[in-house]
Amino acid sequence: MNVITGKEEIYMKDSRTLAFINLYAILGNLSRLCELVPEARKLIENENVSLGIQVKNGPAATLCFNNGVCTIEDGVDNCNIKLPFSSPEKFNGMIDGTVKPFPSKGFTKIGFLLNTFTKLTDILPKYLKASEEDLKNEEFFKTSTILMLHVIAEAIAQIGNEDKVGKASASYIDDGIAKLGIGDELGVGIEVKDHRLKVIHTMPDKYLSYMRFNDISLARDLFDGKVNAVAAVGLGQVRIGGMISQIDNINRILDRVALYLA
Amino acid sequence: MHKINDYSKSREYFERASKVIPSGIYGHQGPAEGCYIPVEAFPFFSEKAQGTYFWDVDGNKFIDYMCAYGPNILGYNDSDVDAAAAAQRKIGDCITAPSTKMIEFAELLVDTVATADWSFFAKNGNDVTTMAVMASRAYTHRKKIIFFKGYYHGVSPWTQKIDYAGIIEEDVCNNIYLQWNDFDAIQATFDKYKGEIAAVIGQPYMHGNFKDNTLPEKDFWQKVRKLCTDNDTILIIDDVRAGFRLDIAGSDHYFGFEADLICFCKALANGYNVSALCGKNFLKNAVSSMSYTGSYWLSAVPFAAGIACITKMREQNIPKLLNEKGTKLKEGLINTAKKHGYDLHVSGAASLFYLRLADDPTLMLHQKWIAECVKRGVFFTSHHNHFVNAALSDEDIAETIEIADEAFTEIKK
Repeated sequence: MNVITGKEEIYMKDSRTLAFINLYAILGNLSRLCELVPEARKLIENENVSLGIQVKNGPAATLCFNNGVCTIEDGVDNCNIKLPFSSPEKFNGMIDGTVKPFPSKGFTKIGFLLNTFTKLTDILPKYLKASEEDLKNEEFFKTSTILMLHVIAEAIAQIGNEDKVGKASASYIDDGIAKLGIGDELGVGIEVKDHRLKVIHTMPDKYLSYMRFNDISLARDLFDGKVNAVAAVGLGQVRIGGMISQIDNINRILDRVALYLA
Repeated sequence: MHKINDYSKSREYFERASKVIPSGIYGHQGPAEGCYIPVEAFPFFSEKAQGTYFWDVDGNKFIDYMCAYGPNILGYNDSDVDAAAAAQRKIGDCITAPSTKMIEFAELLVDTVATADWSFFAKNGNDVTTMAVMASRAYTHRKKIIFFKGYYHGVSPWTQKIDYAGIIEEDVCNNIYLQWNDFDAIQATFDKYKGEIAAVIGQPYMHGNFKDNTLPEKDFWQKVRKLCTDNDTILIIDDVRAGFRLDIAGSDHYFGFEADLICFCKALANGYNVSALCGKNFLKNAVSSMSYTGSYWLSAVPFAAGIACITKMREQNIPKLLNEKGTKLKEGLINTAKKHGYDLHVSGAASLFYLRLADDPTLMLHQKWIAECVKRGVFFTSHHNHFVNAALSDEDIAETIEIADEAFTEIKK
């Protein structure tokens, strides 16, 4: 576990877990961005590229862009552009803009990296760190909140699988699916098996436990840290049910999401 | 048919509370602890209590199977305990020099609790579990403590886990968590950390939530006892929850072994605020050497209440009585469930029974049934062991079963 210097020095988080979050929760959500935001989908509508990201002592996955659809696969065996990183810190540096990546494969497709991919990733912060002004638009608000739900769910899974404290929480979670829902229509599942967490990016039909935010505004306030989940449960704004120990421990991991995504 | 409760005032009070109190009601009695599902089925604030009942702020009356989460053992406002407390209050409570009631109370506990050679008083269960761990470390000069997964020993940082808010790794780095009833794992841990384990701390049986409570396997505690003795490790029994509901002499006595330190609170004084750590002579000097006290720990009123409570519990053999009442209730609930085609598991001791409808592994059906009971005036919680008190009558048990019956009918709809 590394002690991060500066304003976060009293907290502990590790750069390896952050790399998993950056790859699966942030870049992995380009798939939903392309699904939900026409501007993003348009950028890749004529692309057929697979971008592999391989982090030494960290994650490895491939982002596939295929005629307007983006997906993510584990591993880099089938990529046609490969970005290797010598450490999680270097990869995290690319995400925060302090490190420039150099491909080890796919030099002829460097244009995709420099143009399309850069433009695509530039759209993400607009939705994930949205301005008050943008959020006044109802449609934008909804899209931004849905994206945040998926990012947070994926971050929960990565923290539960990789972070030392998160793994302690995961060690207490029973096998089965926990549903995190907003109202009756939006939701994701976190599937737990042998204390490993995996996100189901659609509303699960069957689940062992659930946490349901009454509406999208409340979900937004919770994601933004304006409302506390415990207080909201008492007020009936957040519903919990089923195998509560699942929700309880997922909530503990959720507490660490803000630490990594801040 | 019983009426369905309305909780309008409870909700109003909760909204008011939420503005000035973190989470409205914090801690184990808070609605977000997973014991009140859905929250709409439960009252949040009480107005008064008497015997085995409490009334909420909306005027709804409940047969109370939580007993203030344990302290109510003789019945709310027990006349003997209250009279002793009132008499003491008239002559003094929190005074510069302690009352001799403290000595009387300690003597009574030494005479009552099998393993007790001395008693030390505080206020909450957490005070004395913390003291027990500190005393173990003071005596052994060792750091490591063995816990059993699913435990609850209070709220001090050492009792919490690495992923709890406000806890740092250093708070819990000497905690070793083992499975309940797994003696081989304990043995292996003693071998691995030879000479390093200060104490084993456990509740007399596993009260963990969301699953059936589990009694110790045959000879489990006896083997743990011997292992601790052979390795100069202190054996701590946290009897805060079960104390005096299994055995007036302590739950270690009930299961046929002797703890080195035993912690009491809840039922010790029928709701007056006092807790006690009792222990063996060889630990008395270690405890004397510790810096450990609190502003109200030597107040006399709770001592007087405790003396009256222990005396009455001894005279009436309260553990036996509670076990009989709990057994009657347990059988009635199981039979009623069976009549409706449900498989109700009632685990743990009858005097602090744990309920689980085993027909649905998600527990959602169980949560619905509990909610329907509460809405009709039987105060169960979704996932916590319950408590029986001496004021519970046969009529109360019959009414409870009647309401449980209605609730089963309701969840079938």
